[in-house]
Amino acid sequence: MTRSLFIQSVVFGILTGGVYALLASGLSLYFGVMRIVQIAHPSFLFLGAYLTYSLHNRFDIDPLLTMPITVPLFFVTGMVIQRFLLARLRDENAAMMSVLLTFAIAVVVEGGLSAVYTGSYRSIDVDYARRAFDWFGVRIPRDRVIGLVVAGTTLLVLFAVLRHSRYGRSLRATMQHRDAARLVGVDTDRVQAIGFGIGMSTAAVGGAVLSIITTFFPSGHWEWIAKLMAIIVVGGLGSVGGAAIAAFVLGITEAVVQSWLSPVWAGMVFYLFLFVTLVFRPQGFFGGRLAQRY
Amino acid sequence: MSLSVHGLTKRFGGVVALDDATVEFVPGVINGLIGPNGSGKTTLFNIATGLIAADAGGVTFDGRRITGMPPYRIARAGIGRTFQVVRAFDRMTVLENVLVAERRTGLRELVRSAIRGSEVDRAMGWLHRVGLDHLADADAADISYGQKKLLELAAILMTDPALVMLDEPAGGVNPVMIERIGDLVVAAKRNGRTVLIVEHNMEMVMSLCDHVVVFDRGRAIASGTPDAIQSDERVLQAYLGV
Amino acid sequence: MPSATDDSAMDTVTPPVGGPVGSPGGVAAKRRRQAWNYVAVLALVSALAAGPILVTNSYYRYAGVLMVMYMVMATSWNLVGGFTGYVSLGHAAFFGFGAYCTGIIASDSRSSVILALLATVGICLAVAAVIGVVALRVRGSSFVIVTIALVYMGSLLAQGLRSLTGGSRGLDVAGLYTFSTRAARHGAYIVTFAVLLGVVMFLWNFIDGTKFGMGLKAVREDEDRAQSLGVNTTAFKVVAFALSATFVGLAGGLYATWTGFIDPIFVFSVQISAQLVLMTLLGGMRSLWGPVLGAAIIVPSGEFFLVNLPEYHLVSMGVMLGTVVMLMPNGIIPTLRRLWDRRNPPAASIRELAGSVGALDTDDADVERRAGAPRAVRA
Repeated sequence: MTRSLFIQSVVFGILTGGVYALLASGLSLYFGVMRIVQIAHPSFLFLGAYLTYSLHNRFDIDPLLTMPITVPLFFVTGMVIQRFLLARLRDENAAMMSVLLTFAIAVVVEGGLSAVYTGSYRSIDVDYARRAFDWFGVRIPRDRVIGLVVAGTTLLVLFAVLRHSRYGRSLRATMQHRDAARLVGVDTDRVQAIGFGIGMSTAAVGGAVLSIITTFFPSGHWEWIAKLMAIIVVGGLGSVGGAAIAAFVLGITEAVVQSWLSPVWAGMVFYLFLFVTLVFRPQGFFGGRLAQRY
Repeated sequence: MSLSVHGLTKRFGGVVALDDATVEFVPGVINGLIGPNGSGKTTLFNIATGLIAADAGGVTFDGRRITGMPPYRIARAGIGRTFQVVRAFDRMTVLENVLVAERRTGLRELVRSAIRGSEVDRAMGWLHRVGLDHLADADAADISYGQKKLLELAAILMTDPALVMLDEPAGGVNPVMIERIGDLVVAAKRNGRTVLIVEHNMEMVMSLCDHVVVFDRGRAIASGTPDAIQSDERVLQAYLGV
Repeated sequence: MPSATDDSAMDTVTPPVGGPVGSPGGVAAKRRRQAWNYVAVLALVSALAAGPILVTNSYYRYAGVLMVMYMVMATSWNLVGGFTGYVSLGHAAFFGFGAYCTGIIASDSRSSVILALLATVGICLAVAAVIGVVALRVRGSSFVIVTIALVYMGSLLAQGLRSLTGGSRGLDVAGLYTFSTRAARHGAYIVTFAVLLGVVMFLWNFIDGTKFGMGLKAVREDEDRAQSLGVNTTAFKVVAFALSATFVGLAGGLYATWTGFIDPIFVFSVQISAQLVLMTLLGGMRSLWGPVLGAAIIVPSGEFFLVNLPEYHLVSMGVMLGTVVMLMPNGIIPTLRRLWDRRNPPAASIRELAGSVGALDTDDADVERRAGAPRAVRA
């Protein structure tokens, strides 16, 4: 493999890793807030992509400019799902049942998309995203750069909210110890609902990005959930930072293997990392304290 | 039958739960382990029974190093323990809760039906001993907290342990039940088992225990007979706080 | 070691003086129920195998094969789900793996197909044991995730190892039976799967009454406590997982010989796993008959949707799963059983029922009653 091809792949991997990082951090947030694995997250990602597609085609709106519409919509949807479905699960088997419930939601979303849009592949083509930058002989596709910028900005905003805002403090308190947070006056029900809404909003952003960088189809979310889950396990459940690091590492490895061998083996990279992690360090490599045997 | 701890250290984030703790428990008698909250007693239990790993140091039982062994192997080596907050297999019957306990088991015993034969008789015997035999078919979820404590005891006695470790057996139960548990503890000692009790109920400790170890901030600060402990300066300081 | 004093009576077979004679009523009742289950399973298998006599329509027979196949797979899934409480969404991986094993090993002759099926059993056992050891290192949601990943790995491998598996184009497989009409073949497979169902159900029922089964259930209730009572939970889980996966793998192999063709995207789809979970959950996870009942409901209704409202097939499945999880997480059979128990409490345990109601409120009275009896002298 030539050096330039290698660098090309690494750059590509960084760009993709950014998108992975955004989505994985949303997933970590769900896990931290409610200790649930939100399997439906990528399906909402795809829902976001399809909505962006429709809005773009129907009203000629730029895909990235659909976010002011989709983000609030997803935020509210997230809060509703948390309040009226997940919070209602009886406590005794909540962890397991929430996995199955979110799984059911994912299937419903996919089914809905399939019924409305059929199974054919869709994508969005925008002028400014079609070309590529040329940087010292390395070809950097514009759409991916835009994707990284959007994802990165959103991630930074997310971190800022978590670290410095009042809500962020309440959220972190709830994540660490729900009852203790309640005792000091945090409205944990509201905090959890909002946390879910935020997580869902990242799916809206991710969906807009996804729509311009790749083709999508209704059942594509399964592959994403498998990859995102692998990222989360490798990074360590509950650690948003760990998920981001793992996302970049895996994204880069995937891209390099893709040019070196084939897309099939590139996909296997995630599962290889997953199984190695399970064997040697089940709690994840950069795991936070939440990373027990959930 | 002797349990010894040397140089045991365990940190949880910034909290040092065990700080180079070294203790020698006395075999064949009832040992008490007391100390203020957070002094590391339950952590010691958890490490000794294999549920969590130590950062440094080790625990030996009968000369064998048990730190690092999987929990089920430690149990089969002869250590039985109860939990601070009582645990039972809720969706199984009281009898099944006791039947689960394993001693040395080969493939034949595993495959042979659990609901016939000598195992059932043994289990019923233990249930009778703790006074729960009339509840054998009740779901564990339906019995009271105190009854669950007795159930826990019956289950570990079923494994025929050489060392019985009880984590706050008197917690949350009425005085009559405490006396009952005390009787069972004494009977266990008479049968040659070593007992180790973590307790905050001083009356129980002073009347039952032959040897008491006091923990504070992750290490042993005193040990001896209950009378000696009661008048020890360091113990008073630890409890009254400095 | 414990010395011989009055408590040594515990270690002998004879029950202590003053205690109950023999085993409690509940145990005898359970043993009877288990024996009846074996008989009922035989009846079910015979009824299913006789089905093709009554049903001659080719399409209905086709649906019948699917239904019995799913009964087999759901019951096998329940070997892990029902006993240990671990929810696997990855059984589709073994379905596909078994299909490919058989498809690759078998050539054209009938005996080679039989050989391939036998080999599939052995290979699945070994592979599932290895995977189980790794995957079962985590619990709860992490375990679910890992099993989903398994399905994807399978799909990727099937498409990647093109020379072996035919890649995305799929693989042609020889048939097990050489009947002239499709309807006849369907009939033969109904009988085949029915027999396999009998085997799995016998196994489930058998495990339910053994110490092994009890250990598995303890894993489900409180894995750490089970360990502290000496149960080698890892070994137990792996054995259950391997058995469960192997039966699903064998079903996959039979499926491959039935359809004559393997499509990697279809056999390695999370949806197959999801259906198994849905069926078992609907029928009742902790019972022998739950998966069978669930499959009997879901497969025909699934076919109905596929034929009449194909676009809504997925949505309907998702809604059904969501509804069951929210409203009926225990499933149909336990709910029915509770209604039945409330109306007719079993006569044999009325004594226990009365005793337990008394003791629940007045355990002090119980302890005092025993305290009145001759007590051992305190040391």
